Amino acid sequence: MAEHCETAQSGAGPAETGREPHGWLGLAFIAPSMVFVTGLFVIPLAMTLWMSLYDWPLLGRQTFICLDNYVELFGDGQLWQSLGFTLLYTALVTAAILTVAFPLALLVDRPLRSAGIFRTVYFMPVVIGFGAASTLWMWLLNPDSGVFSRVLLGLGLVDVAPRPLESFWPALAVIILAVVWKTAGFTMVILLTGLQSIPQDVVEAAKIDGAGIFGRFRRITLPLMRNALLLALVLNVTSSMLAFDQFFIITQGGPENSTISAVFSIYLASFSSYRLGYGSTLSFALLVVLVAISSMQLSFLRDRPEEGR
Amino acid sequence: MRKTDLILAASMLATSTGIADAEEASLWVRTSSGAVLQALAEQYNTTHSDKVTVTQITAEQMVPKLGASIAGGAPPDGAVLDLIYLPTFAASNSLEDITDFVKSVPYAQAMSPSHIRLATYGGKIYGVPALPDASIIAYNTDLFEKAGLDPKKAPASLEEIAADAKKIHALGPDIYGFYFVANSGSWLVYDFLPHVWAGGADILSADGREATVDTPTMRATIAAYRDMWAAGAVHPTARSGNGNNAVEAFASGKVGVLMTGSYIVNLLTSKYPAVKFQVAPIPGPNGGQSSFAGGDSLSLIKGISPAKKKVLLDFVNFYMQPAQQVFITKESGMPPRTDVAGEAYAQFDSRNLVAYDVLAKARTPYTFSSDELFVSRTGPFLNLIQGAIFGTDVDGAIKKAQAEFTRILDRTNPK
Repeated sequence: MAEHCETAQSGAGPAETGREPHGWLGLAFIAPSMVFVTGLFVIPLAMTLWMSLYDWPLLGRQTFICLDNYVELFGDGQLWQSLGFTLLYTALVTAAILTVAFPLALLVDRPLRSAGIFRTVYFMPVVIGFGAASTLWMWLLNPDSGVFSRVLLGLGLVDVAPRPLESFWPALAVIILAVVWKTAGFTMVILLTGLQSIPQDVVEAAKIDGAGIFGRFRRITLPLMRNALLLALVLNVTSSMLAFDQFFIITQGGPENSTISAVFSIYLASFSSYRLGYGSTLSFALLVVLVAISSMQLSFLRDRPEEGR
Repeated sequence: MRKTDLILAASMLATSTGIADAEEASLWVRTSSGAVLQALAEQYNTTHSDKVTVTQITAEQMVPKLGASIAGGAPPDGAVLDLIYLPTFAASNSLEDITDFVKSVPYAQAMSPSHIRLATYGGKIYGVPALPDASIIAYNTDLFEKAGLDPKKAPASLEEIAADAKKIHALGPDIYGFYFVANSGSWLVYDFLPHVWAGGADILSADGREATVDTPTMRATIAAYRDMWAAGAVHPTARSGNGNNAVEAFASGKVGVLMTGSYIVNLLTSKYPAVKFQVAPIPGPNGGQSSFAGGDSLSLIKGISPAKKKVLLDFVNFYMQPAQQVFITKESGMPPRTDVAGEAYAQFDSRNLVAYDVLAKARTPYTFSSDELFVSRTGPFLNLIQGAIFGTDVDGAIKKAQAEFTRILDRTNPK
């Protein structure tokens, strides 16, 4: 099994080419992307860092306060609460998405024509913008005129229209439901590519050796699509840590400020309190947290046990 | 040849006189009042050589956009914005002092007093009322009659409203006595704070620098609301409602008393003529009356040229004339002058007069951090109402609100 992998991977490796091209040519090739990275990432990042050292109100003059914003950040109860909430949300929503997307990927990984239709159906919500999808769900969840409450009342499952957004756990549950509906299709596609990269002969060999369906799944499918799984994990964790639209639009931070995500608290500092300096400080702190989480996940991705053996 | 020369000369003359005489001033207005101000500007432009150009800005983006334009050095000449933001802009030295103009006009004493108070900072005046409105209650006279209440007599206290609401709810399980919009900060300052004012208390000190959340009046107001909520007399949508369903709920004839604003009279009579209703000022827990003076004020931005300043003040003087006051009343329900009732309301529903009379004693919180304290969906005022009325711990909610108010005020009060 290990040998099979090795041949497959060395075959895909880069072929030996001739002379190294000129240095300036390489520079010319990367120049456009360097312009974008510098203009849209490096310079704004430097400005954010610079602004985070100021008391920078929307109106009036800004004053240099050195690290005062960072000192305040450590004592900001609302921020830590929102960071904790974001981590909780990330853990729950990532688990939920993978739980839904994996079976979906297994279901549509079949050489049937109808599988293509289902792939499209499951992927459809992904192409809607997050803001539009959140607005859609806000109305679906409306207790007076929304579809859900009408259906539940019509089926006689409930006596009064449910109002999930009035308490914390139901609110979080419906948000997770909405996000799973919206993004599971994307994760399904990533997992599907992983599934389809498993060489058929390995599976055949295992069948001949008498491995059952669960044995094949656990010992062949799972280990061989490790990279696809990790990629899905990294992407889901990163986007969940940056969640904003669904809380801004559907729960609006409520009930009683319990569903304010980290990005939402940056928004509040900058555009409700009009403290652009402190908002920059929060943005930078979130960047540090995200880089830490992502580099941890990427280091998992980097070591490949199947090659090390 | 001669003909072209003439045209050339004529066009040159036109452009040169244009440069010499006509001044153009730009005015930003929020979309909610855009149509009326656009129409007023057009009326002005056709009768004057100077021009006022109106740009509409999405209502909730007005403050950030105006702030950014002032910081960026390219602001409009004037702006028509929610009066509650005037102290903030005045304190940051962004507005032009127009004290002399305001004091010199013949109708100086007749402009909505709360709008002038909010436009005053450090003894100088920085704005004039443009399109005011005032909060009131509307009650369904049919339901009052069915519940054995006197439809001709408006409830004189919040406790009376609570008692009436419970009687109305007893008419049927899907008939509710009371509706208020509990999940929107801007609705709550508009409809809830007047109870507190009518009871003689306030949530902020007069200069807006200190919080006075915990008062006997505030507690009595909360108690009356809790009483109605516990009895099931409050419409279930009130708690999470943001205002979208309020008018429809009342118009459906299943709500006894609605906390609303002066625009409701024209809205109901034109769109839902079947509803029988009366309006009244907002009462305090044990009596008294008050209202929230809302709507727009017009301000000039600091650094405006004297010529453009003259144009915009001339425009203000134009819309303050009786003919335009009648037009404003027709379009948006209430004129900024309090001395033209006879003319402005002669052709309208007499129920409009209730809100009109109350505008003279209506109030607005004088604050430098309106968004953070009151408007924000995550702010302490909204959390106070949600926690104290629908939650279990009234004392805790009041204590938390007082602490949060104080923390925000300490940071945002101008030095």
